[in-house]
Amino acid sequence: MRISIPHMGNLYIPLKALFQRLDVEFIVPPLTNQRTLSLGVRYSPEGLCIPFKLTLGNLIEVAELGAETLLMPSGYGTCRLGYYARTQEQVLHDLGYDIEMIQLGVSEQKFFGLLKIIKRLSNGASWFDIISAFRFGMRKLNALDRMEKLVQKVRAVETEKGTANRLYDEVISAIDEADSDKVLEMVEEDYSIRLDQVPRDSQDRPLIVGIVGEFYVLLEPFSNFDVERELGKLGVEVRRTTFISEWIKFSLFLNPLGIKEKDRIHKAALPYLKRDIGGDGWESIGEKVLHNKEYDGLVHLAPFTCLPEIMAQNIMPTTRENIPVLTILCDEQTSKTGMLTRLEAFVDLLERKRRGSKCDRKMVAI
Amino acid sequence: MEAYLGIDVGSVTTKLAALDENDELMAHVYQPTRGQPIEMVQRGLEQIKEQLPADVDICGVATTGSARYLAGVIVNADLVKNEITSHATAALSYFPEVQTVLEIGGQDSKIIIIRDGIVTDFGMNTVCAAGTGSFLDHQALRLNMTIEEFSQRAMDSQSAVRIAGRCTVFAESDMVHKQQVGHKIEDILYGLCQALVRNYINNIALGKEIKSPIAFQGGVAFNQAIVKAFKEELGAEVIVPRHHELMGAIGVALLVHEEMVNNKKSKFTGFQVSEAKYRTSSFECKSCTNLCEIAQISTNGQTLARWGGRCDMWERMPAEETR
Repeated sequence: MRISIPHMGNLYIPLKALFQRLDVEFIVPPLTNQRTLSLGVRYSPEGLCIPFKLTLGNLIEVAELGAETLLMPSGYGTCRLGYYARTQEQVLHDLGYDIEMIQLGVSEQKFFGLLKIIKRLSNGASWFDIISAFRFGMRKLNALDRMEKLVQKVRAVETEKGTANRLYDEVISAIDEADSDKVLEMVEEDYSIRLDQVPRDSQDRPLIVGIVGEFYVLLEPFSNFDVERELGKLGVEVRRTTFISEWIKFSLFLNPLGIKEKDRIHKAALPYLKRDIGGDGWESIGEKVLHNKEYDGLVHLAPFTCLPEIMAQNIMPTTRENIPVLTILCDEQTSKTGMLTRLEAFVDLLERKRRGSKCDRKMVAI
Repeated sequence: MEAYLGIDVGSVTTKLAALDENDELMAHVYQPTRGQPIEMVQRGLEQIKEQLPADVDICGVATTGSARYLAGVIVNADLVKNEITSHATAALSYFPEVQTVLEIGGQDSKIIIIRDGIVTDFGMNTVCAAGTGSFLDHQALRLNMTIEEFSQRAMDSQSAVRIAGRCTVFAESDMVHKQQVGHKIEDILYGLCQALVRNYINNIALGKEIKSPIAFQGGVAFNQAIVKAFKEELGAEVIVPRHHELMGAIGVALLVHEEMVNNKKSKFTGFQVSEAKYRTSSFECKSCTNLCEIAQISTNGQTLARWGGRCDMWERMPAEETR
C-alpha cells in the first residue's frame, strides 16, 4: 500500500517519518509548483478556491507516481474544505486512477480515531509501534516549527539577506533525514546555534507584522507568494500563531480536555463578530484585536472566493483596535509583482507611522 | 546643471520626468508602453535628453511603476520605489494639505489616504481591471472614437443612462443593450463614467474615509467626464494636478533627490543606454522540484539580472554568460 497526502508547508516530513517507522511506503508529492497548479486548475470546478486546486494538483501528481491510498483533511466545522476530499476522490476516479481516499476529520475522529486509521494503514502494527512512530513524527513537527519561528526573527535583522533562508532550507532537509531522536536533537541544537550566530544589523527593533487568515494559504508558501520571505527581505519580523504543531496539539489532545487556545481569540473578536462563520474568519478578527499592541501591522491572507475571510476582511477596518491591515487574495496568479508593490507600500506606511508624524511636510511623504 | 530623473514604467504608459535642484519640472516624456518596457525606457531617455540642456548632470535616477525593477536594471537606478509611495510623495509636494489621492492608471486603480502628511492607508484593485484606463480605451475603440472624443461626448450628456459597473463584462453587455434600444451615445458614455466611479468607490475605496482636499492623478484624469462623475459622487471638489499623468515619475524623482544628499554619486548608466541592445528570456529552473520561472535580462552576452525564483540562487549568481 503506497500512501500519500497533499502538501501543506512541511507536513510531509513528520508523516513520512511516521509511516517509514511502520514500514509503510509513503510517497512525498513533488513540491507544489507550476505543474501542480496547472493540473489542479484544469480538473477543478472553476469557482473553487486555491487550496482545492493545489491539493488536487498534488493528489494527481502522486497518483501518477503510483500512490494508492490518499489522505485528505476533511470534516465539519471548517468550510467547504470539509467536502473537498469527496469531490477530489470523484475527480481522481473520473481520471481513471484507482485510488482509495481516506478522509482525515481530525476534529471529529480525535486522537484515537486517527490512531485507528494509522493502525489500518500499517497492516496492524502493534499499538506500541504506532504510538512510538506517532511520537517520532510529532517530534519532527515540533522541531520544524521551532526552527521556523527562529528563522522568522533572524530574517528581519540579518546583515546578509538570504542567510536565514539558506539555513532554513538546510535544516528542513536535515530534520527530514534524521532517523533517531538523538540525531534530531543534535540537528536542532546545531542549527539553533548557527541561526543565533547569523550576523545582524545593530539597528532598532524591526517592524513586526502579524500574518493571519485562512489556514492553508498561511502555511503553504507556494499559495501565498512566499509572503513571509518577502517581508523578511524588507526587514520585517513576521509573527504567526498558526502552526501545524500547535493545531495538532490542541485539536487532538487539549481541546478534548477542555483547554481551548482559541477561546481567547474568539473572546477578543466578540465585540465585532458574535459567532463562528466557518474557516478562520473569526480567528482573523480576534487576532487583530488581541495583538494590536504588539504588531505594527497585519497581513491578512485569503483565498479568492473564501467567504469567511471576505467577511473578516470587511469587518477588520471597523475595529477600534486600529492597526493597518493589508489583505492579499491568493489565487492562480503566480506573478509576484502586484503583491510586492502592495507589500513595499505597506512597509513604507508602517515605517513612517512608527517614526511618528513629525516630519517636514513640504518635502516628503510616507 | 543638476537634474533628478524619475522613470515610471506602467503597464500602459511610460513616463519620465526631470526635476532641477529646486524640484521644478524641467522636461518630461509621456508615451505608450505597448508591452515593450525596455524599448520605451530607451526611447524615453533619448527624448528627454533632447529637451534637457547639453550640460545637464544627472545627479540621481529612480524608477517606479510595475516594471520598476526591470527599468532599474537598465538605467542602474539609485532608487527603486513602489508607485503608491511615489504618487503620495508627488501629491504632498504640490498640495501639502491633501488627505485623499485617487489614482487611476492603465491597469491599476488606487486610493491613498493621507493624514497630517503621512500615508495612513491605501487600497488597490485586486484581480479585476474594471474601471481602469484600459477598459475605457477598449470601449472607445469599440465605439470607433478616440479617448478624447469619448471624454467630450460624455460631457455633452443631458441624462445619463444607468450602466452596471461591477465588472467589465457586465458593463459592456449593458452598454450594448442600451445602445440597441436607442439610448443616446452621450448618455451611455456618461453612464459608463458614473458606473466606473461607483465601482471605484464601492471596491477600492471600500471602508476608507474620503476627506477633502482630494487629488485625482494618473492618466484617466485626462477624462473630464470621469472627473465630473467623481465630483458628483463624492459631493466634493476634486483637484486634478497639472501634470497628473506624471505624478508617479515626479514623486520618485523627488524621493531620489532626497536620497542623494551628502554628495552621493549617482550610479546612472548614462544616456547611451538608449543605444544598447537588451535581450530578455526566461527558463524553468530545474535545481529542485519547485520548477520556478526565472526571467533574465542581458546585454552583450552579459547577464544583468535574474529574478522570479522562490530562492535567491539566481539573483545571487554573479553575472556570466547568458544561458
